[in-house]
Amino acid sequence: MNPATFEKGMVFFLTILTLLVSSLLLIILATVFAKGLPALHSGFLIEASENFGREGGIIYQLMGTLILMTGAVLISLPVALGSVIYQTQYLKSETGKEICRQFAQMLNATPTILFGLVGYLFFGVYLETGVSWVTGSLILAVMILPTLQVSIREAIEALPDQYKDAGMALGLSPWSQIKTIIIPQCYYGIITGVFLGLARAAGETAAIMFAATTFSGIHLPESFSDPVPTLQTHMLVLTQEAANPEALAQAWSAGLVLLSLVFFLTVMAWILRSRLKMEAEL
Amino acid sequence: MKKVATFPSHNKPKSMENESHGIMWVFAGLNLIFLCCAGGLFLFLIFESYPIFKLHGFDFWLGQDWWVGEAYGALPMLYGSTLVTALACLLVLPLALAVAIFISEFLTPTSRRCVKAILELLAGVPGIVYGLLGVSFLSLWIKDVFGLLDGNTLATASCLLAIMILPTVLTLSEDAMRSVPAEYRDNALGLGLSKWQTATAVVLPQALPGIMGAVLLGIGRAMGETIAVMLVVGSLDRIPDPWFNIFSSAQTIPSKLGREAAEAIGEGTHWSALMALGLTLFIMVLLINFIGNRFLKRRSIS
Repeated sequence: MNPATFEKGMVFFLTILTLLVSSLLLIILATVFAKGLPALHSGFLIEASENFGREGGIIYQLMGTLILMTGAVLISLPVALGSVIYQTQYLKSETGKEICRQFAQMLNATPTILFGLVGYLFFGVYLETGVSWVTGSLILAVMILPTLQVSIREAIEALPDQYKDAGMALGLSPWSQIKTIIIPQCYYGIITGVFLGLARAAGETAAIMFAATTFSGIHLPESFSDPVPTLQTHMLVLTQEAANPEALAQAWSAGLVLLSLVFFLTVMAWILRSRLKMEAEL
Repeated sequence: MKKVATFPSHNKPKSMENESHGIMWVFAGLNLIFLCCAGGLFLFLIFESYPIFKLHGFDFWLGQDWWVGEAYGALPMLYGSTLVTALACLLVLPLALAVAIFISEFLTPTSRRCVKAILELLAGVPGIVYGLLGVSFLSLWIKDVFGLLDGNTLATASCLLAIMILPTVLTLSEDAMRSVPAEYRDNALGLGLSKWQTATAVVLPQALPGIMGAVLLGIGRAMGETIAVMLVVGSLDRIPDPWFNIFSSAQTIPSKLGREAAEAIGEGTHWSALMALGLTLFIMVLLINFIGNRFLKRRSIS
């Protein structure tokens, strides 16, 4: 065969493959929409679920997911920010930095179900928080720690050296430098991390399914020791009733809401990250 | 003329120095919390799984039976996890390689950004949504196409995992290909090589370690995936008969943990056995990840 024809053929073949892979997202989106919209009536987002999730809405499940992910970020953010600042501003030894990096990679790679098991045992049993939304938030906080750290670290490392030099020339103490230069300048990086962390926490099921959530019986938590219903657990239970079309339809609708939430948070993170890039280029 | 303030630290006001040190310890403490989270996880797993290793020793990994209260053998789960991941990898590798070449070498910058954005969104789709897709479509298709009694098989789980890790593997492989210096391409093109030859004979060999690393990181993710696999793998604690029969139900480690952790939580031999499974999974994933990161790093240095 003529080499030029062969190459054209190969490139054509690759184009088709790439189109197929890219259309995968569209197929997934289209399926979730096609399956989720029929059961999505006007009150779906503001009604409580009835008849073991087969009818009604998902207001309390949605609230549960929001509570867990907000709690997780609130706990995780100070730790992530503090540890990254320590590693970039105070820690001088290369070995120390390398150890921190390895630990972050380790945490990032850990299968999420292990966070659930170990987290439940540590927080729930030893610290006696029980099966509750507090346990869930703590577990998710540990899980999203590396996500937050990466975003914050990128932002801090992208700061021009002159800023720090100027701060030093003004005789600022390390803490004043952090307070007046690093945190304000890395604001967008921190917020990007927060959104990515929220998105990751919102999509997680395995880590919280037996440590923080319940399927029915509870609406909003009234104390620190109450579990919450979440969208993820709701979907999991309904999916396992695959023979029941009503349950499956509700699962799809809940899936549509969850997917929209995750996509919204991811896109928000992108918008903020592009702001960050623009500022860095100024 | 007034005396100019001097900077050496012994001349600083005492309060400022104290404040500075106090704050440093706060940050160091936060860093310590982070290190404890990561290290504590590992220590906890070892500590909690110690009783079962004391009871069964290494036979834990070789035993084929898992009867709660009587025998705990991890081999079926180990085998299931390995097979599912290996199959997913086989499915992903050629696809990822081909598409990464195309995205990195043949697309215009604008469309490349577009495809990469799509991939990033895909990578964030929650596992439970994939699980729902698997239950409603993939397992039914596999059941019909291959004429099986039950669509929840090893093959179903592998296909689903392959779809799940494809975006991650693709993005990282494409990064590896982009990180090959532009001079290499210019030289090759200047020597009269075609674009295709440049891509396959110059860029690809250079990017191969990076692509290996990307695939390994994908495998690490696949191995730890719980929910989607749990819903479609069939959850049957035995090695398929014959061993290469991928169209039979089986069990993976995370799926086993997800199914049984709720009943065993906290104490007893059963819990310890589950934690030992978790430890095994953790070590496997860490090793794969460590090697993967090594590959990625080598590429970025050279």
